[in-house]
Amino acid sequence: MARNTILQVLALVLGLGMMTACGLVSPEASFTPTHNYALGAGRPICTECHSNDLAKGALKTYATFDHTPTFVKNHRFQANQDSNTCAVCHAPSFCIDCHGGKVPMKPAKLLADRPDRDTPHRGDYLTLHKIEGKLDPSSCYRCHGRANNDQCRACHR
Amino acid sequence: MKRHTYVALLATLLSATAWGQEVSLYGTTMAEIWKQNIPGSEQATYTAATQYLGIDATKLGSDNLSLHLFGWGVKDFGDSSPTIYNGSPNGSYSGGYLSFGYLQYRFDQANAEIKAGRFAINQGTGFEQVDGVSARTDLRGGFSISAFGGRPVLYHTQDLSSQLNYDFQKDFIFGTRLAWRLPQVTEIGLSYLEDGTHAAQNLPQPTTEDFTRRQVGLDLLLTPTTSFDLRGRTVFDVAKHPEVAPGAPAHNDIAEHDYSATWRIGSQVAVTGNFAERNFFAYFAGSNMPSLFRQDDHDMFRGWGGKVTWTTEANFQLVGDYRHTHRETFGDSNRLGGEMRWTFNDKAVLFGLGGHIVNAVDTKFVDPSTPYLSLSYKEARIWTLVTKGQFSASLDGILQRYDSGNPYLAGVQNVYEVVGSLGYQATANIKVSGDVTYGTNPVAKHETQGLLKAEYRFGSAKKGGQ
Repeated sequence: MARNTILQVLALVLGLGMMTACGLVSPEASFTPTHNYALGAGRPICTECHSNDLAKGALKTYATFDHTPTFVKNHRFQANQDSNTCAVCHAPSFCIDCHGGKVPMKPAKLLADRPDRDTPHRGDYLTLHKIEGKLDPSSCYRCHGRANNDQCRACHR
Repeated sequence: MKRHTYVALLATLLSATAWGQEVSLYGTTMAEIWKQNIPGSEQATYTAATQYLGIDATKLGSDNLSLHLFGWGVKDFGDSSPTIYNGSPNGSYSGGYLSFGYLQYRFDQANAEIKAGRFAINQGTGFEQVDGVSARTDLRGGFSISAFGGRPVLYHTQDLSSQLNYDFQKDFIFGTRLAWRLPQVTEIGLSYLEDGTHAAQNLPQPTTEDFTRRQVGLDLLLTPTTSFDLRGRTVFDVAKHPEVAPGAPAHNDIAEHDYSATWRIGSQVAVTGNFAERNFFAYFAGSNMPSLFRQDDHDMFRGWGGKVTWTTEANFQLVGDYRHTHRETFGDSNRLGGEMRWTFNDKAVLFGLGGHIVNAVDTKFVDPSTPYLSLSYKEARIWTLVTKGQFSASLDGILQRYDSGNPYLAGVQNVYEVVGSLGYQATANIKVSGDVTYGTNPVAKHETQGLLKAEYRFGSAKKGGQ
């Protein structure tokens, strides 16, 4: 019932959208799909090369995307609003290293040769999670609440 | 998705690569070995091969059409896999997964794009994996709109009976986001998510296990000046729930507040403050592990803190951070620490050093009469990464020291791990490396793990991708 309602609403929205799309869609050209060259190890600072002008498409300054420690920690905000800007430099597989619905190993093991990367669960996290999980289970939920929890079930039955 | 549908979809997508004018195949092949060391349990050797494989094919008949595939498979060749990997001491572990596989069409105008297939989407209320269709476009006046719909990618639940309910309830997922941007000043987004249309209370035989979600999200970026920004989001639970019992507290419909503000002082110093609050009844909605992520009416998390970052022109960075956390049913903790990073010779040498103290003496339930039996611990880490010509080497050590007598850790006090890695970049697109890890496991026994890795990319690779 609810599904049919959603589909009907979706069809209506799409129909109306098709009729008015030409008038509503931005006439601006799309920005480049990929960065001009691959970036090396370490956290890139966009403003080292780009002036503090607006990043085309995102309509935000390049400083907004500087990979500072705060940016790395809080990148969920930028990914939420600017995932197509992220895709200019990052292939989708870059995100999947950590954010796959299922991953065969923890990111810290996959990226053991990249200690500069801020990957979760370095060291014996199996021990540490007994503490962190009690202090803040909502931090576990982001990655393991609805997916990627096959290994959790070995103990949490 | 049924297996034959899976195979048909993959075959169709793979055959599409034949039309691509630029095709890149990339992957990582890994072989690892380690022996699980748990007293009282049979020692199990894990000798696994893991294969990650991805394909990017662009210009499929049109300059704007591309195909992206990525997945992995793992097979343990040992007699029996460690319990941590398969939940059972007998039988070897194997598995595989299609992380994403979709066709994408990027329009030349308005940053518009359409995706069809399996993809991950991060939009408004959260991060979802979907078998379906998504579309986005910029609109006039700074507006943009995006939407996706299809079947949610399904995972395992804790038991078979739950799996039937889970599969039935999560039949459809739909999400949309409308945003408005004022160049350089703000972005405000309003989003809606519906995950599953058969809510537990509406089933012919109602159950308490509800795997569906209905959420509305509000996200915000505010940059009134180039030196200040505020970003974050609030997520509301808008699903209908059974009436609460008379006298019982009502559910809090706010699933999450999550905000961060940064003030840049000059070119070298940045000060960040953050605040988060999550109410578990609303926030844990839709979990496929409801016994672990319990929708407790009375439980919630609130955290706030700050970070000061000092970055010098001499490639030195110093970060100091503090965070206070409060969990309604468990108590409070304070986390204080810092990190230093140096880079030399145009990033040929990177060095880092960090440490944190977590003071959790205010926690409840551990043992109120002897608060030193707490969840407190200290952590220290030191690492370096050196690249010289085609060779690279890294060393990474981490130590966690727990308060003595912590009842949750079975007498474990010091836990450490050291990882050494050597790599050789044979060509621009092929790298081989080996890692050796030595450290303690959760029962304080020493374990050594070895891992060989080959990373490669063939074809006309995407220039900026990593």
